[in-house]
Amino acid sequence: MIDSNNMQGFNVLSSQFSALSSPPNPLAPVGFEIPQPFQTTLDNGLHVVVFEDERLPLVSFRLAFFTGDIHDPSDSHGLTSAMATQLTEGTENYTSLQLAEKVERLGANISAHASYDFVTVSASSLSLYANEMLDLMAEVALRPTFPEEELDLYRRNTVEHLKFQRSQPPFLAAEQAARHIYGTHPYARVSPTAADIEKLTRENLARHHRRAVVPNNAILIAVGDVKKEELVSKLNDEFQGWEQGSLPPSDFDALPVRTGRTLTIVDRKGSAQSNIVIANSGIKRLDPDYFAVLVMNQVLGAGASSRVFMNIREDKGYTYGAYTRVDAKRLAGDFEATAEVRNEVTGASLKEFFYELNRIRVERVSDEEIADAKSFLTGVFPIRAETQEGLTNLLVNQQLYGLPDDYLQQYRANVDAVTAEQIQEAARKHIRPDEVAIVIVGDADEIIEQVKEYADTVEVFDTDGRQNPER
Amino acid sequence: MPHSFSLPPLEIIEHTLPNGLRVVLNPDSAIPVVSVAVYYNVGSRNEREDRTGFAHLFEHMMFQGSANVPKAGHFQYIMKAGGTMNGTTSSERTNYYETLPADQLPLALWLESDRMRSLAVTQENLDNQRDAVKEEKRLRYDNQPYGQIFDLINEMIYKNFANSHSTIGSMDHLDAASVEDCQEFFRIYYAPNNAVVVLSGSFDVDEALKLVETYFGDIPSQPLPPELDVTEPEEVAATYREWQDPLAPFPAFLIGWKIPKRRTPEFNALYLAGKILYDGDSSRLYQKLVKGDESVIQLFGFTDERRGPSSIFIGAIPKPDEDLSKIREAIMNEIKDLATHGPTAAEMEKIENQFVNATVRTRQSSMSRAQWIAEYALYDGDPKLIHTELETMLSVTAEDIRLAVAHYLNTENRSLLDIVPASQTQI
Repeated sequence: MIDSNNMQGFNVLSSQFSALSSPPNPLAPVGFEIPQPFQTTLDNGLHVVVFEDERLPLVSFRLAFFTGDIHDPSDSHGLTSAMATQLTEGTENYTSLQLAEKVERLGANISAHASYDFVTVSASSLSLYANEMLDLMAEVALRPTFPEEELDLYRRNTVEHLKFQRSQPPFLAAEQAARHIYGTHPYARVSPTAADIEKLTRENLARHHRRAVVPNNAILIAVGDVKKEELVSKLNDEFQGWEQGSLPPSDFDALPVRTGRTLTIVDRKGSAQSNIVIANSGIKRLDPDYFAVLVMNQVLGAGASSRVFMNIREDKGYTYGAYTRVDAKRLAGDFEATAEVRNEVTGASLKEFFYELNRIRVERVSDEEIADAKSFLTGVFPIRAETQEGLTNLLVNQQLYGLPDDYLQQYRANVDAVTAEQIQEAARKHIRPDEVAIVIVGDADEIIEQVKEYADTVEVFDTDGRQNPER
Repeated sequence: MPHSFSLPPLEIIEHTLPNGLRVVLNPDSAIPVVSVAVYYNVGSRNEREDRTGFAHLFEHMMFQGSANVPKAGHFQYIMKAGGTMNGTTSSERTNYYETLPADQLPLALWLESDRMRSLAVTQENLDNQRDAVKEEKRLRYDNQPYGQIFDLINEMIYKNFANSHSTIGSMDHLDAASVEDCQEFFRIYYAPNNAVVVLSGSFDVDEALKLVETYFGDIPSQPLPPELDVTEPEEVAATYREWQDPLAPFPAFLIGWKIPKRRTPEFNALYLAGKILYDGDSSRLYQKLVKGDESVIQLFGFTDERRGPSSIFIGAIPKPDEDLSKIREAIMNEIKDLATHGPTAAEMEKIENQFVNATVRTRQSSMSRAQWIAEYALYDGDPKLIHTELETMLSVTAEDIRLAVAHYLNTENRSLLDIVPASQTQI
């Protein structure tokens, strides 16, 4: 088709074409700096962090406590979560309904919940209502009454919810994986039992509240259209007379030492898919390997361009999504590889997972993959800070995990500093295919023959969490 | 408060390329990121009766490569540039969007234009993505308790096939699809004159417009897709169905009503009525059923907003041994009360404040701004409607809500889907 007579034309076309045939260069870079927030500590010991942002007439507040589900007494699992949830269900000045009506009439939100490590009260509203929301936040945190009828309702609803969650494969998988990874450490408790919930009492909730909700165990973070001087003065009034207490313990059982590969099947009859979790213990949030693990996990499986996704979904088509995840909690953590795959490729999926888990340990990751992982992590960072909720989450995590004051400012530099050697070292240390717990929620009859060769031991549970000794 | 609450207007610049591509720019330099949203005017409503699931299959195909972008390269390019992206399909449209560091705007436009111009519709990609869709269906619908109930109730509410069939579609139809079918679908629906491109975030307007012209300007337009009829009679297609769900741990039910299309005064009034009935801990049904009677484990409701006849749903998972008909009666009693007495002043104040709060929060992210603007541009031909939406909603009166509830919800003209755990019936 090409002859010398129209070479001229062809050249024009080809230069236009080549302008579009490869990815364009970026424009001039635009800097992004998060200023450091204002910090102070009130006389009562409450640490306060204020990030002024006038962009839109909004505010977000978090009041967080260094007490979490792991601090449940050994004879009362679920107590911390119940206490947190019930903070908004009745106080000295408001019934549950009055509180809900008051908050919702302002178009605002207030909620409280517990995680493994923390209890957090969150409130957000138009900045117009900032003072009302601080009043309500102090009311629910300091003056809950734990009314009997609300606790009764919580007990009954939670018991039903506990039954319901046993129909959800991700819950069943998480329950078994946590048991294997965390042993007798309280991180092993994914959920309380119905019996735990039924024996919760007002007195226990109130006692637990008195212990946990003390100012020297707390931080308050405010982000948005507020003035720090006004806010601090308001907080001094609001939290006047709030007495200090003792801090929760952080010494718990060590994680079990694993010496072989286990397979646990949760037999869900008629399951259309197998939910696979492959797990071993990982790092805690302040582990010095954190950034190496972060970059390593980005290469391996954190996203839709990571290795396991490209292999198991894009190349093999076994699944809608396959990922790896690093859960770095305050005191310990875990590494997990997960996918939901169709029954007949359950074994084949394990094969691919182990191939990738081994590959990242034995082969040096290419410079290109490292550069890609880093540019993802550094690039999405400003996107995460785009909304007030996102920025608040970054600040809350920095404070709760005790990260350095310049953590957010140094984040991108820390990511960029990770080397190929550190990545491989992190993979060898924190991914241990010979001692993983494999958990599969699926139809045991359909899958057991495909998967048993991948583990040293096999156990089968039913969806009620009972082991079936015959298998 | 509020009845009136003014927000600084967003800067909105409209431009149409000679090939018919509509472009909307919303410059906002608060954070150095940029979002690009490409909305194609094709959803499940456009599908043929023997080719359901096509719009969604295409959403997958759009990530399988084009003339200059390798298979799955789209993810890779976006992620390595530090961006996030996705695509979704509804009855109304198929959308694709990405948020990137501001300096990567050319990359986003290059990627979106390359697949609009030259998607690789090959047998291999088709086979591969059919499998991925089947897997998605197993995960999101077949393997979830209650996973299929919204598709089922749409079949009960709507009589017109364009409205009633599911977005995930029939796997048999997907299996029957040929590469030629897909190429034809792409030619008709993925033409520049059938799409809207919205840029929101940190960029220079002139530079951005020039880039859009460079990347999209040479993509040829196509004859517009066939006219679509989404009209419906007022009555629902079926009033009752029982569904055996093998994975459901408890019985449950879902009630659905057919209501007027989005942005009509009636739709707006019913959207707000829904907030009063089921949204939040102070809502009427939450207080009545979850708190008062303690008969329900989970209560939910929402409106499905469409350009044609739309719908509103209320569903509940009652506690075991509760009488489901009593719970439904309680729901209908609240609806009747709202139809008779209308919302209280406190309820009006609440929904107005909630709407203001939600509106302001949605404006924070470049991606949600881009998506909002794209909907107005695509559905209504006027992206600047984003400026008046708040005022329009705040002008809805208690009487408007009462009348709309009386006409559209307090009626036997509704669909009831009863969900029965199949394992229970076998015993």
